[in-house]
Amino acid sequence: MPAPKFRSRSLRRVHRVTPGGKTKKYYIERKPSIPKCAECGKELKGIPRMMTSKSKNAPKSAKRVSRAYGGFLCHNCLKQKLKAEIRASN
Amino acid sequence: MFEIGRICVKLAGRDAGMKCVIIDELDHNNVLIDGQTRRRKCNVNHLEPTNQSVEINKNAPAAEVIRVLKELGIEVFEKTKKAAKASERPRSAKKIKEKLVKQPVIEKKVKKTKKAEEAVVEAAPEEKTETPKE
Repeated sequence: MPAPKFRSRSLRRVHRVTPGGKTKKYYIERKPSIPKCAECGKELKGIPRMMTSKSKNAPKSAKRVSRAYGGFLCHNCLKQKLKAEIRASN
Repeated sequence: MFEIGRICVKLAGRDAGMKCVIIDELDHNNVLIDGQTRRRKCNVNHLEPTNQSVEINKNAPAAEVIRVLKELGIEVFEKTKKAAKASERPRSAKKIKEKLVKQPVIEKKVKKTKKAEEAVVEAAPEEKTETPKE
């Protein structure tokens, strides 16, 4: 039986072969899921799947796209929103 | 519609959502823009025209574009280039945390009524024995 701290399913079990030829079990933490567009639900690009322990110290530019509503809306939804806003104000 | 002097909003890229003026027509697909966006070539599909237009010369310099847009109420912030060498960039002063000094506890003087004073006087011999324990 694995030790109590390793029984959690937030860790995934991976069997790897060591250089010596033995198969060893590794407990690796799971990465967060891919972020989705708030409007259409498509997967957003340009955002790496980083653990919060790493993203905390990473620069802001490494966590999102350099565009308005960068990590929130996809480029198509942003275009639609901007067009609607401009045509309403015209 | 996409003629020189037309005010547009950029839809794509880093400058998405910013207003710009068309300064030159390069071909039937591309135009030259400047304003709140960077001065560069842009595809007409990435622009949304507004109903405002301005009288401006072809290939007008940046200073004239800023002046013309200011009359309409569109503010263009000055673009400063970041210094390449780290030693030339301005450094912020280090924040020194002030150590908190513990202040002595001052006992509040409470106004006592006459009745309370008499009660205190009666209980005085008892209080004297209690205080050294604290």
